[in-house]
Amino acid sequence: MRRTQLTLRLMLLLGLALGIAAIDTVTDLEIAVGVFQIAVVLIAVRILPARAVAGVAVICMALTIVSYRLTRFGDTEAGLINMLISLAAIAGTTYLALRLSAAVRTVHQTRAHLAHIARINMLGELAASIAHEVNQPLAAVATSGGACLRWMATEPPNLPKARQAVERIIADTHRASDIIARLRGMARHQAPTKQWLNVADTVNAALRLMAGELNEQNITLRVQVQDGLPPMLADEVQIQQVILNLAMNAVDAMRQVDVDQRTLQFQVTLESPQQLLFAVSDQGSGLSASERERVFDAFYSTKPDGMGMGLAISRSIIEAHDGRIWVASHSPSGSTFHFTLPAVTGEPNEPN
Amino acid sequence: MSQTDLHDQADSMVYIVDDDPSVRASLQDLLASVGLASLAFGSAREFIDAERPDVPACLILDVRMPGLSGLDFQQEMARLNILLPTVFITAHGDIPMSVKAMKAGALEFLTKPFREQDLLDAITQGLARDQERRKAAASVDALKRRHETLTDGEREVMELVVSGLLNKQVAARLGLSEVTVKVRRGSLMRKMNADSLATLVKMSEKLKVVNR
Repeated sequence: MRRTQLTLRLMLLLGLALGIAAIDTVTDLEIAVGVFQIAVVLIAVRILPARAVAGVAVICMALTIVSYRLTRFGDTEAGLINMLISLAAIAGTTYLALRLSAAVRTVHQTRAHLAHIARINMLGELAASIAHEVNQPLAAVATSGGACLRWMATEPPNLPKARQAVERIIADTHRASDIIARLRGMARHQAPTKQWLNVADTVNAALRLMAGELNEQNITLRVQVQDGLPPMLADEVQIQQVILNLAMNAVDAMRQVDVDQRTLQFQVTLESPQQLLFAVSDQGSGLSASERERVFDAFYSTKPDGMGMGLAISRSIIEAHDGRIWVASHSPSGSTFHFTLPAVTGEPNEPN
Repeated sequence: MSQTDLHDQADSMVYIVDDDPSVRASLQDLLASVGLASLAFGSAREFIDAERPDVPACLILDVRMPGLSGLDFQQEMARLNILLPTVFITAHGDIPMSVKAMKAGALEFLTKPFREQDLLDAITQGLARDQERRKAAASVDALKRRHETLTDGEREVMELVVSGLLNKQVAARLGLSEVTVKVRRGSLMRKMNADSLATLVKMSEKLKVVNR
């Protein structure tokens, strides 16, 4: 579907360039219609990669020269100057437009990178504020416990005071569990903001953020996204977070592996008309059966300095998207994390 | 503000400033269980505005509070000349913050939940320190009051005597007879309650520190 759309656009673009050249040919040499070829270049920048844009510019310039040769009316000298001006305008526009689009792309990448960092920071902030909230009642419980022991140790024991202290302990314990219940509620009600996403673009954008890390660790990245996948309806930031989590885990799993065996494989296939299947494989040491059972639990980590949050968050994100996430270990080494997302076959209502 | 029933006859006082009511309640009860009177406040502002009894005291302060934070509050206290040994408690103690607190003169920095014995030890130490400070301040006050009873003439003589001049030299300096100097010196020694020149010199040093 994407390919036919692109072909159609290219045909239109070519038509526009030919049209301008034709008008240029039938008008006098003094009228520099050829300069409007810059419109073709400007449109091309929006839909084509840099090299193709340069090609389009060359075609436009060639057309301008041809139309100068074919034009029969008007002053030849003025025509030559007009043609040169047109050529300079097309070349200049192409150069500036390509530079601008490169800058825009850098801005987008940087913004995505910042968003990722912000999410990680937010997680840290969240953890700190949870720690503070839960610590308050815990401090009160510990202190009341101390007070209670002291009231009981007096001669004779002050039982009414000790009882009061225990009652406070019970109340504060309930308060702590209320705080936790509230946090869980918050996590559950955070609805993803879904939009139509191109699978390959989403995967590539997320993995691009890993480029530096992969390079540093000498890891070969193999991405296989099946052709002609339907778009998915998902929260872009959240899905990219899941992809990043899984890819980062894979990188961490291969730190002890020989350099020439470090391969991170990322696969997306259409498992059934209703389901996309994502798979992230590493060549690490794999997971034992008991580890496989617990990896998605919060605060469980197989890494020495892991927080144990990445996979727990990934699971809640995937489940909020009506998907499933699981892990398989295969012999002799390595693990593969799979997750599914519902696919939308047929034309989406509002393509993005 | 809430107070324990030990409050009326208390010979010392522990102030608690924490925004969490259950932490306040449990701390007050813990202190009561070892016979310490306490006053608890939900905010630093309440504490500053409250009327505080004139007894040896110590402060338990939560670092992270809405409004004025514990560390800002400590600076504010220094500005208002409220000199209280302070025990910081925090739910998320980190090293930079505790270093800052210690530098600002905190007695102890405890992370919630803390061992209650650590807190009680810090408070005992704090109260002892405040008592000493008060004693020192009281003796300087008494000295000041005695110094104020001196006449201008006696004060002049005292200044020159403690700087090491002999009666004869003092007399020459002030244009007085040596007898007058001797009379004024005897009277000022009596009024200042000093039994020797050495004691008088020490007293004058203390007064200088206060007046600086």
